[in-house]
Amino acid sequence: MISSSFLPSAPVPTERASQPATMDLESNFEISRTSEFILSRNFTRVALQFPDDLLKHSTKVVNSLRNKLGSANKVGLFVMADTTFGSCCVDEVGASHINADCVIHYGHTCLSPTSTLPAFCVFGKASICISRCVEKLSSYFWTNGKPIVVLYGLEYAHAISQIKGALVEAMPKAKVELNFSDVMCSIINPLEDHRKSEGLLGCLGSCTSNNSLGAATGTRYSLGGLIWDLPEGQRMEDYLLLWIGPDNSAFANIVLTFNGCEIVRYDATEDHLVTDVSQQKRILKRRYYLVERAKDANMVGILVGTLGVAGYLHMIHQMKELIMLAGKKAYTLVMGRPNPAKLANFPECDVFIYVSCAQTALLDSKEFLAPVITPFEAMLAFSRGSQWTGTYVMEFRDLINSSTLEVRNQPEEARFSFLKGGYVEDFELQENGDGDNEISLALGNATEKALQLRDRNPDSLVKGIAKSGAEFFVTRSYHGLEMHANSALPEPYLIGRSGKASGYKDEQSGFHEAIKLVLVG
Amino acid sequence: MVKFTADELRAIMDRKHNIRNMSVIAHVDHGKSTLTDSLVAAAGIIAQEVAGDVRMTDTRADEAERGITIKSTGISLYYEMTDESLKNYKGERQGNEYLINLIDSPGHVDFSSEVTAALRITDGALVVVDCVEGVCVQTETVLRQALGERIRPVLTVNKMDRCFLELQVDGEEAYQTFQRVIENANVIMATYEDPLLGDVQVYPEKGTVAFSAGLHGWAFTLTNFAKMYASKFGVDEAKMMERLWGENFFDPATKKWTTKSTGSATCKRGFVQFCYEPIKQIINTCMNDQKGKLWPMLQKLGVIMKSEEKDLMGKALMKRVMQTWLPASNALLEMMVFHLPSPSKAQKYRVENLYEGPLDDIYANAIRNCDPEGPLMLYVSKMIPASDKGRFYAFGRVFSGKVSTGLKVRIMGPNYVPGEKKDLYVKSVQRTVIWMGKKQETVEDVPCGNTVAMVGLDQFITKNATLTNEKEVDAHPIRAMKFSVSPVVRVAVQCKVASDLPKLVEGLKRLAKSDPMVVCTIEESGEHIVAGAGELHLEICLKDLQEDFMGGAEIIKSDPVVSFRETVLERSCRTVMSKSPNKHNRLYMEARPLEEGLAEAIDDGRIGPRDDPKVRSKILAEEFGWDKDLAKKIWCFGPETTGPNMVVDMCKGVQYLNEIKDSVVAGFQWASKEGAMAEENMRGICFEVCDVVLHADAIHRGGGQIIPTARRVFYASQLTAKPRLLEPVYLVEIQAPEQALGGIYSVLNQKRGHVFEEMQRPGTPLYNIKAYLPVIESFGFSSTLRAATSGQAFPQCVFDHWDMMSSDPLEPGSQAAGHVAEIRKRKGLKEQMTPLSEYEDKL
Repeated sequence: MISSSFLPSAPVPTERASQPATMDLESNFEISRTSEFILSRNFTRVALQFPDDLLKHSTKVVNSLRNKLGSANKVGLFVMADTTFGSCCVDEVGASHINADCVIHYGHTCLSPTSTLPAFCVFGKASICISRCVEKLSSYFWTNGKPIVVLYGLEYAHAISQIKGALVEAMPKAKVELNFSDVMCSIINPLEDHRKSEGLLGCLGSCTSNNSLGAATGTRYSLGGLIWDLPEGQRMEDYLLLWIGPDNSAFANIVLTFNGCEIVRYDATEDHLVTDVSQQKRILKRRYYLVERAKDANMVGILVGTLGVAGYLHMIHQMKELIMLAGKKAYTLVMGRPNPAKLANFPECDVFIYVSCAQTALLDSKEFLAPVITPFEAMLAFSRGSQWTGTYVMEFRDLINSSTLEVRNQPEEARFSFLKGGYVEDFELQENGDGDNEISLALGNATEKALQLRDRNPDSLVKGIAKSGAEFFVTRSYHGLEMHANSALPEPYLIGRSGKASGYKDEQSGFHEAIKLVLVG
Repeated sequence: MVKFTADELRAIMDRKHNIRNMSVIAHVDHGKSTLTDSLVAAAGIIAQEVAGDVRMTDTRADEAERGITIKSTGISLYYEMTDESLKNYKGERQGNEYLINLIDSPGHVDFSSEVTAALRITDGALVVVDCVEGVCVQTETVLRQALGERIRPVLTVNKMDRCFLELQVDGEEAYQTFQRVIENANVIMATYEDPLLGDVQVYPEKGTVAFSAGLHGWAFTLTNFAKMYASKFGVDEAKMMERLWGENFFDPATKKWTTKSTGSATCKRGFVQFCYEPIKQIINTCMNDQKGKLWPMLQKLGVIMKSEEKDLMGKALMKRVMQTWLPASNALLEMMVFHLPSPSKAQKYRVENLYEGPLDDIYANAIRNCDPEGPLMLYVSKMIPASDKGRFYAFGRVFSGKVSTGLKVRIMGPNYVPGEKKDLYVKSVQRTVIWMGKKQETVEDVPCGNTVAMVGLDQFITKNATLTNEKEVDAHPIRAMKFSVSPVVRVAVQCKVASDLPKLVEGLKRLAKSDPMVVCTIEESGEHIVAGAGELHLEICLKDLQEDFMGGAEIIKSDPVVSFRETVLERSCRTVMSKSPNKHNRLYMEARPLEEGLAEAIDDGRIGPRDDPKVRSKILAEEFGWDKDLAKKIWCFGPETTGPNMVVDMCKGVQYLNEIKDSVVAGFQWASKEGAMAEENMRGICFEVCDVVLHADAIHRGGGQIIPTARRVFYASQLTAKPRLLEPVYLVEIQAPEQALGGIYSVLNQKRGHVFEEMQRPGTPLYNIKAYLPVIESFGFSSTLRAATSGQAFPQCVFDHWDMMSSDPLEPGSQAAGHVAEIRKRKGLKEQMTPLSEYEDKL
């Protein structure tokens, strides 16, 4: 999907490699704008980040960039591939390996703010037949009388002004109000954005709690790199949302965030309007279920899903605090992109929180042993008294700001679990509630707890519920190799194996598979 | 016209020998509530005149509308006995005043969880049987339940007025009918012989059977008549009672008692001669308005009528006369006082059923002795919605100690395990209340042996709980109730306006509380599910949800959904293998069906993960023909670690096998919860681990590699073992006259049901039909049946068993495949089942 956006006239994949003419490459990869960006800011070491499917063009891009920059300039260009996390985010850690000054990001992006490095994003230009698009859209708009907000995939940003013009022309007498969103900016500047995340929300109203912040002009919304304004007094629910682009995670975010809106999608490659987004709406319900499930969790794993997006550390700390306050146990795990096999190595975790950029955050594969939720969902699940009202926040910048979740002083009530269909209580919380637990008694209580009869029948197949990793380990039937402490004699030493696990030296060779990281300088 | 005050009542609550806690149980429409009303009338809450017309205990509008009881209602009654009538009472007593805590329960099978809750907190039961319809399905069910809880029953043969007015049967025929009814009930009771409870059968000649006409508010036991005749014949009352029932005949011509009918026209059975005939005579006289004959007769009987009552005519007159002559309350209340145990008596033998902990600790002893000074032991059996919207009273019974306003109590929920903190709260009782029909009275405290309602605990109790004093940390809870119905019918609910979701969540929480049987859960797809025992039950629940618990916010409900189970028909056709993601580990497995009856045994808890392995292997070997050693190699049960599926280790000499056990178990819990076909729970599948090949390095055989692999291999073995769907099946009992049978059969056929028993009720034109009916076909069954039989047939459906659907769900176009596709669609899964090749790997 993304690769095609860089190749306007490439319907068959095999033609791709041979076809792109220099002109196309120039414009698609925005060589001149890129070089301008580099030169204007005097960057000397530049990292070029390609997603896997664009990697094959990297050498050509480097060549033409080098030509453009001129040989006089000693600008080092580095190609980065195979990002640890989602390829939509700027890989700052990778870039800092080569001490880069900035990152040029190619392909689909979530435009999440970076924390240290400036970045320039090249969205690519997907082909779109403007006349047919306008024809489809205007006929739909005639039948639907609602005012419209037009959102689009960033790869279509290049064609939007034309579409806008054509649409206005096609419906001259229409009373339909059209609102086109703008691309925020293709340059991400870390300092500026960082401040923003610290609370200068004025210029970028968050999509949820912005009513008071809206200036006289109206309310400003931003999502996934797009910004748009609505006149005062209007709510998003009053508008018809039009999305131009494929059904990808960016679209899923839109559907989740504006779940109260009527949404249509124009698919440019198929050239048709999709008015039925029930499948996407289903996601919302599914997320709701996951929140309910998370409420019952005792141990929570925090998965670090980004090392670049500004504020991720803050978010992780916030999550830890939240989990602790909820009387649960948190473990922080860094494992690159999560997959079922990796997560199943932590069967003790009942739920995972995936701290990552908005567009990679929604992981819902049924293959996972435990559900993976977003920080927003974690806030819903773990702060008592907070309720799911339908609003949904994806980007955790917005979450950090709204972190002062007003936990209303509700009458004290045990928590009702919809999975169990009854009241359940979260362990530690109860003890806190007792109030008269003095600190001096804490140790005594802990030992008392430790001395409790854990298992009446040692042969019973059912173990109690573990509240921490250590307790989980105790309930396992296998605890690892057993130490034979009773033999006093020292064991004779044995020569172990050497080599890698995938094929030890004493096993037959030829098993090795080298994984190459492409690093072109 | 309240005859008693809360203070009076509170005073008598301390006299534990003078308390009777009893429930009224019966088949639907046998007249429980009407009969209860006449009792309430005597205790004085409502005026005597309207007894029989207003159902005091049906406090809900829909109950009145439908004419059935939905919720059980508790009422405290106060009854003062005369010294004379108590002279034969042998048991302990403190004065002549008696407190009767009575609970009226619903008869419809969908609400039988209410009966269970009522039985738990009572010691005796008044079993009401319609004299014409006799012992019906629900009578039998509730009677079994009562005896299981060690509740002592007394019987009343109700709707006597039908005998006199509708059927106009003669004495001997009526006697035979009554005799049969009593016998039928005794047959059921006899099967529950319990040495501690003693003989629970009922005998009219011992006064444990009453004859009543709830609608007209009169009733009698043989005691009434025995008293009347004892002096006349100059014999002992007990002797007279015996003569009034059974094979005792009297010939007024010869004035002789015989044990056989002499054949002479005047020789009649004692009961007919002295009980039935006089009543019949009075009724007939009244109905024919032969007032001239009536007054002398009444005078002879010592019945004094008020002057204004003398102007009544016909039925009204008859009702009045009968109520004055044989008031229902006196007969029934006396029967209860005499023959039902007081709490102090009942708790001596009930403690074994009630208390989970050791039977010699202080809590068991306090319950046994019904000790008001002992530690508090209180069982909350249900939650009653308060007039204050959203709040509930916790209603229960104090078994020992006292509960008082402001007392800090320890709440042990159903999942509480002694020594742990799970499902345990310490909270204060805000108010203690006693219940009197529509009125509640606050009292300072309530001592043991009584029922009580408490305010301020509802946010910590879902349905039931055991309460004790704050400091009694080593008390065990009182055993959880066992319900005879299960929530098999489910609907998904959602709110019409998305922003009402918090309301819905709150409403579901309250709904879950308000009914012992309803279960509110959430599906994987994020839909809220309400599960109930039957269509009617769900209908009532959803009505409550919307109107009472959500403040009228609109909800959308789906069509009823039935949950299926996945099972296998045969052993896997081959040993299947799956490889771990790193290809270094291989699991080999086979699936086979569990032996017949084993899944049920696991359901009943006869076999379970908590058993001693020796006991378990003994049962498995003796009853199910397992190899003794094999029985010791069960790795786990599932889903939820207790379900009716298991994993058995069949490998020999596999290295590191113990290391992966936990991972396989985790994979099994997951797989057995979501089967391969439609992600429904598995049932009755035994997975045998045949062989395991593991990588030599521990790092390559961790949970990450094994858990997903185990899940895949479970699915592969399920799919190779002829997977089948199990559907829930109702046992339907229908009572109808002969001419309705044709309609019943045709409706049943049309709904895939089949009749397995058809029996004519002796002495009646009614037939009793028992049939199996798939739950999925049962929606609208009642109304279809009523339409087809012009309202003569009334079915009672109870979940009975899981039945295997014979068609192959893997074969496109089959009925089972249709169900699978439907479930997958509802759950938002891919329409096509994941093929076997996704789960099974080739070497």
